[in-house]
Formats: sequence, structure tokens, C-alpha cells
Amino acid sequence: MSARVDVKLVNLTIDGNPVRVPEGTLLVEAAKAVTTDIPVYCYHPKLGPAGLCRICLVDIEKAPKLQIACNTTVTEGMVVHTYGEKVDAGRKAVMEFLLLNHPLDCPICDKGGECDLQDYSMAYGASASRLADPKSSKPKAIDLGPTIVLDDERCIVCQRCSRFDEIITNERSLVVKDRGQRDVIATASGEPYRSNFSGNVTELCPVGALTSKTYRFKSRPWDNARTHTTCTQCSVGCALNVDERYGAITRTMSDEDDAVSDGWLCDRGRYNIAFYGDARRITTPMLRTPTGEFVQIGWDDAIERWAKHLRDAVASDGADSIAAIGGGRLLNEEILVLAQTMRALGVTHLDWRAGRQRQASPGAYGGTYVDLETADLVVAIGRPPSQTAPVLDLRIRKAVRNGARYVTVGSHPSDSFVVSSHLARVSDLAAHVESATRVAFVWDGIDAAVGAQAAELAESLAARGTHVSTFVASEQSNARGAEALGMSPQNGSADSDGIFAAARAGKLRVLSLLGVNPMLHHPLGASAIRDAIERTDFVVCTELFLTETAKLAHLVLPARAAFEKSGHVYDLAGDVLAVNAGHTAPEGTLADADMLVALAAELDVTIAAPDSLHAQASAAIVATATAFGDPKFARASDATSETIGSKGDARNGVRIAIAANIFSGGGSVYFDERLAALRPSPTATFARETAATLGVHAGDLVDLVAGERTLVGLVAIITDTAPSGVVTVIDGLPDAPANEFADGETVALANVRSAERALTAGAV
Amino acid sequence: MQSVIGGVVALAKGFATTLQFAFQKKPTVSYPNVKIQHAPRFHGLHELRRYDDGKERCIGCELCSIACPANAITVIGAENTPEDRRSPGERFAARYEIDELRCIFCGLCEEACPTDAIVLTPRFEMADYRRSSFIYSKDRLLVPQDAGKGTAPDERPNGIPSDLGSVIEQKSTVDIMAGYGATHRGEILKTERKGLAG
Repeated sequence: MSARVDVKLVNLTIDGNPVRVPEGTLLVEAAKAVTTDIPVYCYHPKLGPAGLCRICLVDIEKAPKLQIACNTTVTEGMVVHTYGEKVDAGRKAVMEFLLLNHPLDCPICDKGGECDLQDYSMAYGASASRLADPKSSKPKAIDLGPTIVLDDERCIVCQRCSRFDEIITNERSLVVKDRGQRDVIATASGEPYRSNFSGNVTELCPVGALTSKTYRFKSRPWDNARTHTTCTQCSVGCALNVDERYGAITRTMSDEDDAVSDGWLCDRGRYNIAFYGDARRITTPMLRTPTGEFVQIGWDDAIERWAKHLRDAVASDGADSIAAIGGGRLLNEEILVLAQTMRALGVTHLDWRAGRQRQASPGAYGGTYVDLETADLVVAIGRPPSQTAPVLDLRIRKAVRNGARYVTVGSHPSDSFVVSSHLARVSDLAAHVESATRVAFVWDGIDAAVGAQAAELAESLAARGTHVSTFVASEQSNARGAEALGMSPQNGSADSDGIFAAARAGKLRVLSLLGVNPMLHHPLGASAIRDAIERTDFVVCTELFLTETAKLAHLVLPARAAFEKSGHVYDLAGDVLAVNAGHTAPEGTLADADMLVALAAELDVTIAAPDSLHAQASAAIVATATAFGDPKFARASDATSETIGSKGDARNGVRIAIAANIFSGGGSVYFDERLAALRPSPTATFARETAATLGVHAGDLVDLVAGERTLVGLVAIITDTAPSGVVTVIDGLPDAPANEFADGETVALANVRSAERALTAGAV
Repeated sequence: MQSVIGGVVALAKGFATTLQFAFQKKPTVSYPNVKIQHAPRFHGLHELRRYDDGKERCIGCELCSIACPANAITVIGAENTPEDRRSPGERFAARYEIDELRCIFCGLCEEACPTDAIVLTPRFEMADYRRSSFIYSKDRLLVPQDAGKGTAPDERPNGIPSDLGSVIEQKSTVDIMAGYGATHRGEILKTERKGLAG
């Protein structure tokens, strides 16, 4: 409800109950005040009224006919009856039309059991159809895209899906094709329906027309045991329901959550669940023998070895020979136990940064998600949040729908569908912020220099009285928690760069890597990280799978994933969100917290009582009010900030932009069989004129070279949205790891193979 | 005096009733050589039926499972593929299991089934030595491809499938092969017997 005081209230009567609601309220919403449920199909609180299905008929006194509650606003003195003979007869007539061609699929329909059409048909519908002719037949089980199956016969054309695609995501690909009884849902272009938010239409669909491929026939709704938890795939922290059946996760569904997710989920959060039950998961601690083979060992043995190596290292070379990296993917409680155990040993080389991101806290102007949607200027700096924090991008799209302008800054192609303008530098923002009263900055946390420029701008805007809110869309889900809870370098101790440098210099005895994969993500690059790990006496890695990094470790400990443990995380806006175990973990795995508590016990280290951890974690975020773009977070080797966005000379080489993709990564997505169709293949994206200058055509295979480092076999894509002189590649792909390349550095194009030649080569 | 006469009369009545039963035909039969005719809608062991074209009737909708008051039925659905089409629609039962020890033979599964796939046959003899063998999975429930399509309950007058031809009289001697073995399992039993004889 709005906080403004000048809202005029209207008095009306609904089913004999006096109701006072703000002027302009829709009748269907006003009825919720007296807990009267008016049936709806096309109406949805987030999508607004459409007046298509007519099921919400109500009787308004003095109105000549029944009115639809979803598109009628309340007026003073209105007397409404939401049930009664007249209303029921009206709804029965509407149901007859809706069910006219609806197939009797309920027993095999994935929606059966949680279907509004079923429920209202039981409540208002006739028991038999009066239709004498055969029902119209339409295509069934249509492959609408990589995630969605469409059944046109079941569709009642409420248009929730196409309105979601138009209003909420602004992508406008789903439309209603043809008219009358021949109308079907389709994409306007005829191409497969591809969207990072496609799963939401299956939840919006009030019937079983749109269903998820990953959930198809997995279970019936009543079989699922549901757990409410928080999605930890990215730093947004959307509310999520996990449905489990016979020990396997069948699906995840969104939950009403206006403060964080706004009720939506991205496809990564929704569909990336098959890895939980993947046979490739590690389920027993594994120790590397001197010959390089892994042997399975018991948990007691594993923890003892870890503790022994830590103790020996402290005794022989001091605590400086020990380091730990991790925390960005752990729960708050786990981060605290990790930091406390390590610090009790005297270890100071602790860092959560395992990728490009340097900073996770948004500083003094840290805003809430609602601040973002009420901004009139949203500035995204660096990697677009559409790929790092997709549901945050929906908030930005909501802000744009409310009239905001969305400006992106940096060298990445903007793919948010709502970008007003694209700028190369933060300094170019001056003209845009002039008229703005509420400005939101969304930074990727990578380039501290750019962050500092944005912080300076934010400071000056705030001084002028402009409302400023800042956000950091992190690479790792709980990066903000890790930074606040002690897994960041303090008083000059080494960050992850320094830790790996010390390891390469042979100064490190024990390195613990908890839930991180620096081989794929750390900007030092795979060869440097491999060198660092090989020169360290003992490397412990807690992982779900044998990732690039885990394969090199001396001891691999099987960890539990997010739905298998309980605790809390921070979202990027600083809210503490509860994570609840909703899936039975494979036997033999342990949560990182349990391993660390066992380690602490083995080391005779006293850590805080488990009950007090949550309170400690919640208090910590208040204590770390670091500035947005604080120079202390800067990377020692960061020299690229000035060159980002400047037009490179395309004839000699191009600047490389390393983009995020929501389906990249070497862990949960890579080991998810059901997501194979969504994983991006290695691509190189060029602007049209840059491609023309370089002589690259769409579909060509290209290699990128910078000194010794190469990226081989990228498929060229040509778009109009990419900045000129820049080639964009996707970060975090195990098949083409781009982490060795610095964002913005100049790379040369080599070995361009035309699409036909590449095809022939492939055939041979 | 009167009470003595009354007592004797009552005694005589009581003995007369007892004596009556002594001369009546005994209800006990020498099972298993003699078997008693079922009630017309007797509920015995389950069977999963097929359509005329050999496709499975079961679509894996799990309505039997949710209707089951004893929680004895487990169904897991899967999608038909064009190469391997098990049932007419999009969905079929990849797994279908009934724990016959939990089953109370109420017949609600039969009633809930939208395709008349699961039926209760008259067969009740399923003794075994292991509990695990009472979990009947699809390989024992589904009528084999070459054993017909199964018999619907209403095609079975007096609890004996109509294809047997004759209705057997109350408390008659029933040939196990002809009567209780009238389901597809009876067919299997027959062949097994033949095999043994040969």
C-alpha cells in the first residue's frame, strides 16, 4: 500500500461486509480484504486486468448485467455480491464456453491437481457438456522452446504468458496467433521461445497448456513434499519452493515475495536441479596418492589428514604458510566457522574472491530492491545484471515500465531489452543524472577504479539531495556474506591473487578451497592456478563434482549443495534469508559446516556455538560499511579500466569483453544433463561494422590470441547491440575458459574459418 | 414346578437347534481340492489390462495411488516416445507397483482408474515365503502381450471370467486351472504345469 497520505478511501459493501479501500482499487483486489476469493484466469496481480476470460463475474446492485470484477474499479457506495444464484449461473455459462473445446486430459496433465480450470469447473461448471459436435482438435505436446512444452488444446487464451512476456520481461516474443477457436500461442518470429525467464509462464498458466520439460510427467502435484527455501544460484536470493519426491527434486517453484524476487524466478534458478541427483557427484572423501590416483578414504581419516597438515604447517612454517579461499557459495554459518577456525590457527590469508569480482558490499548507499524499481534512472556498470542477477534485471525492467531510464556503462553488449542508452565511461553519465531524482547504480563489483568513479558520482548526487541506491550484482551468491563475515583479507594479508602468487613461489604449505573453482574463474588463468596448486604441499577442495580445480587437489571432500543444508545467506541488498534443506543429500556427503566443525574439533579450536552463529552473522553486515568502489579492493594488476569502452583499432586487434551468461559455469550447470540445451557454446560476438572490418561472418569459427594465451574455436555472432571494436566472449565455460584474458585487453583474431569450411572440417 | 417344565422345554429347544446343524450339510470344504464359489464381485489380486491393439491401458496418472486408502500403490509416470509407444496418450506408467500385503482389496483403485486399466481379479491365492515377493511390479501385474487384454470386472459373471463358458454352482468343486487361474497368471500356471508334466 502506498505511503502517501492523500489517498482517498472508498466505502463499499462486498457480500454484506463493509470494505474501505483506496480509490482506484480493482474489485477483485478489494474482495481479498473480506477473504472472498473471486475466480480469475486472465487476471494476475502482477499483470493487471485483461478482461478476457470473464470468469470473475460479480453482481453489482443497480448494474443491469453481471460485471467482471477484475476490470471494475470500486466506487463509493457500491454493493457487490460475489456469489448467489445469478452469479453462479453467469460463471457456469462462462465455464461452459471455456470448457467447450478443452480436452479431458486431466489424468495425464501435469497441471491436474493444481489447476484453476479443474477447481472452478468443480465449483461452477456443469457436470456434462452440451456440445453435440466433436471438440476442435489442435496440436498437442508442441516443442515451444528448450524449456517449454505447449498443448494448444488445453489453452483457454487468457494471455497471461504473452502478457508476461510483454509487460514483465519486455521481450515480446510470445503472441496469440490466429483468431476464434483456431487461436494458438506461438512466438511472433516462429523461432523457439527462448528467454531467461521462460519457466514463469508455466506457473502463470492457469491450465496445463504450458508445462516445463524438466518436470514433464515427473510426478503429480500431491506427491511433492514442499520446502520453502531461498535460491542460491545467484546473489538475488529469490524465494523458492523445492518439491521433492522419492528423494529426488522434481521441480522448483516461485513464491510470493514482493521484497526480493517479486514472485519471479529465472530459468537457471528454476531448472538447474538435475545435478543434485547426478551420478557424477562425489560421495566419499578422496585422497590423491603419490602416483596421482584418487583413492576413497573415510571421513575421520580425511578430517584428521586435513588437521594434521594444518598443524604441521603452523609448527614448521608458521600460519603464514596456510591460506583458504572460499565462502562466496557457502552459508553465513559456514563462512563464520571457516573464518573462526582459520583465524584461531593464526591464518590471515583468507579470501572469498575466486573470480573476477573484487567487491560485494554496495557501501553506504546500499539500497533495497524496492528502491531499484522506484528509481527514475538505473545505471548498470560493467557486466549487465541480466546475466549475473537475472531477477534483479526484471526489477530494472519494472523501473523502466514505471518510467525510468536504463543506462548501461562499459564494453559489454546490453541485452536487457529495455536499455535506453549505452555509454562507454562513467564520466559520460553527467548529462543523464542531471534531471534524475532517484538514481540506482548496479555495479558488477569487478573494476574497482570504475566503481570508485561511480561512488564519486553517487556521493555528489547524494550531496545534491538526489536519492541514491547502490547495488553490487555478485558472481557468487553469498559474496556479500563472505566479505562481511571475515573471509576477506584484513590488515595487508594476501587476497586470492597474493595467495596464488605465494603458492607459486613455494611459500604455501596448505591451501583450502571451499566451494570455489579458480581454475575456471580466477583471472590469473588456468595455467597459473595449476602451477600454484602443484607447488603447494596439500590442497583441500570441498566440491560437489570433480571440477577442474578438484581434479588437482590432494584431498577432495564431498560437499552438500544448497537445497541439502539449512542456514542463512545474504542477498545482494543485505537481507538475511533462510535456506532450508529440502532434499535428502546423497549418503557420504557432508555440509561444509559439518566438515569445518569436525576440523575445529580435531584441531582443538573453540568456535562459536552453533546457535549463536546466525545472530553473529546477522550483526556482521552492519559492521562492514565499506565504500562502493573502495580502492582497497582493487586488484594490484588492474590497469585496464581506462581502456574499457574506448574504440579499439579493429585492424590490429579488438578489445575483449568477458561477458557473463546465466547458464555458464563448470559446476551445477555443467553437471546438469537436463540443461544441455540451455548451456551456451563458446561464441565471439562482434558489432556489425567491427565484423566487416575484420572480415568475419556470422557462423565463422575464430580463435582469439593474446601472447601465449588462446581461445580456440569460437563461433562468431554478429549483433547490432555490441559496442564497436570489441569482441565479447562468455566467461566460465569449461570448453573455452576465458578467465586468462583480462577484461578490456587487446586480442588478435587468428585462424578465421568460414562457416562452410568449418562445416567441411567438422565433416572430415 | 412350572419353572422346571419351562427349563426342560428350553433345554429341548436348545438341543433341537444343535441337532439340526448336526444333520445339515457341512459348510467346510476340503480346500484346496474343493473351493467355494466367489461372491459375484469378489476383490482379489490386481491386473493391469491392455487395449485391443495391445497398448497398455494404464497412463500412469496415479489416481489409483492417491485413491488407495492403504497407500499400497506406487506409480511413476514417463513420456511415450514415437519409437516406444506404450499407451495411447502422451504418458505411461514407467513404474507401477502394488504392495499386496498393504492392500485391503477395497477396489477403490479400480473405481478411480479413468481408463479401466487396473482391475481386481478373483484370484486370491498368492502365498509366498518372502515379504518382498508381495510387491507386485508391472512385470507381474500387466497382462502379457500374448495373453489377451485382461478381463473387465463386468465381463466376469459370478466372479469367474465369462470366457470360461460355464457358471459354476455354489460350493462346487472348482478346477483350479479353469476357475481361479482364469487370469493371465492362470495361463502362465497352465504352461508351467504342462512344462512340468512334459
